[in-house]
Amino acid sequence: MEENQNPVYKNKDYGQSRELLYSYENDGQYKKTVGFHGEPDRIILQQAWDLFGERIEDARKRVKAGKVSPVVYYMEKNLLDPMNLGMIAGISLWRVKWHFRPVVFNRLQEKTLKKYAKAFNITIDQLKNIE
Amino acid sequence: METTKTIINYTHRQAGHCESGATSNLFKFYGLDISEPMAFGIGNGLYFSYIPFLKIMFAPMISFRNLPNTVFRRATQYLGIEATVIKKIKDPKEAMAMLDRNLEQGIPTGMQVGVFQLTFFPPEYRQHYNMHNLVAFGKEGNLYHISDTVMEFPQVLTYDDLLRVRYAGGAFAPQGKMYWINNLKPGIDIKPAIIKGIKKTVYEMIGIPFPLIGVKGLKWMARDLKKWPKKHGNEKASFYLGQILRMAEDFGTGGAGFRYIYGAFLKEAGELFGNHSELLEAADIMGKTANKWREFTYIGARNCKNRSKPEEDYSMLSEMLMGIAQSEEVVYRKLEKIKL
Repeated sequence: MEENQNPVYKNKDYGQSRELLYSYENDGQYKKTVGFHGEPDRIILQQAWDLFGERIEDARKRVKAGKVSPVVYYMEKNLLDPMNLGMIAGISLWRVKWHFRPVVFNRLQEKTLKKYAKAFNITIDQLKNIE
Repeated sequence: METTKTIINYTHRQAGHCESGATSNLFKFYGLDISEPMAFGIGNGLYFSYIPFLKIMFAPMISFRNLPNTVFRRATQYLGIEATVIKKIKDPKEAMAMLDRNLEQGIPTGMQVGVFQLTFFPPEYRQHYNMHNLVAFGKEGNLYHISDTVMEFPQVLTYDDLLRVRYAGGAFAPQGKMYWINNLKPGIDIKPAIIKGIKKTVYEMIGIPFPLIGVKGLKWMARDLKKWPKKHGNEKASFYLGQILRMAEDFGTGGAGFRYIYGAFLKEAGELFGNHSELLEAADIMGKTANKWREFTYIGARNCKNRSKPEEDYSMLSEMLMGIAQSEEVVYRKLEKIKL
């Protein structure tokens, strides 16, 4: 594939697969084409990833500064919000928000940590120390 | 350990929309030749809902499609095909064992999965979206052969990966939902099913007495779009606008929020009913509306590129969306009166 196939995407893994797209021609025929999305479609997708990237970077800084617990970083990395994280990990919303405090996080039981680790698909060591 | 190998002779065809593609492929496997737009139209894939107070991926929930599994359920119901749909399986191991048993009997089985941890999926689409559908058609040792209609070719998934995506949590969690066809008798007449499908879609788009669903929801969203820059600031307004466009164009819709597929269905139905002039006319208006959606994307995407300084006025975009809603309404009003 050419280098500048998808100049809009910042990550070069993006936009590598072809999809089936429909279109309506002037002669009144519906046409199916297998190909790549046009530029506007890619701009809006990149917009979403930009926002997610910003949020992850922001969360990492806050965790490093000791303002929030690593749960926040992994939550943002997995593109979750507290409600969905609660649903996936099986912990109630208010407890999830409570665990955002570093002090509370540091004295969490092994059982709860395991739940988070399973939800984020990582080990407990990784959960405690972010890279 | 011996590796068992069972692969069903199932033909993978790429499609615009995951569920109607899977449905159409399953029907074709059992000898009923139904194209993807046909399956989509009969199964009422078309829908619109706008729920501003429910946030998904940090933006209001906008959906251009019906609830998961509607297409397969309604299509089999209207066509009179015996099919099994299991909504919820509590034990993940049992769910996988059921899939294995099905594959041994030679039944290709559809499943609802979450996209986020689906390993073969294009990385730019891996967000928390739990309404994706795929069909398993073979097992080889630890590997499952998967036909995902978004992808160009069949894929493989390991046991653990498949289990994880089938039990992805969050909103609309799949909970191991699976479905398959039991019995399909030859010689099915699809005309009554088409009539039922069109009636139901028309009801869902203009008949439901709730302001956030169907054409009314589209108009509501058009009015809201005007207020976003003042209410949330330019950054957020452009992200919300982007969300409309993402839902319409990117997440496996075949373009323009399924409007192209539905138009293709109307055209096919018109030809099937002996070149029915009103149906063909409706298909033409639908196609033109879909082209307007594309135009809306082109102009909206420019706003998304320059987030803090919007190039186009939001009230102009709002008027454009209103025009789209009105021209869609024309189609449904036409279909409401049609006599087939």
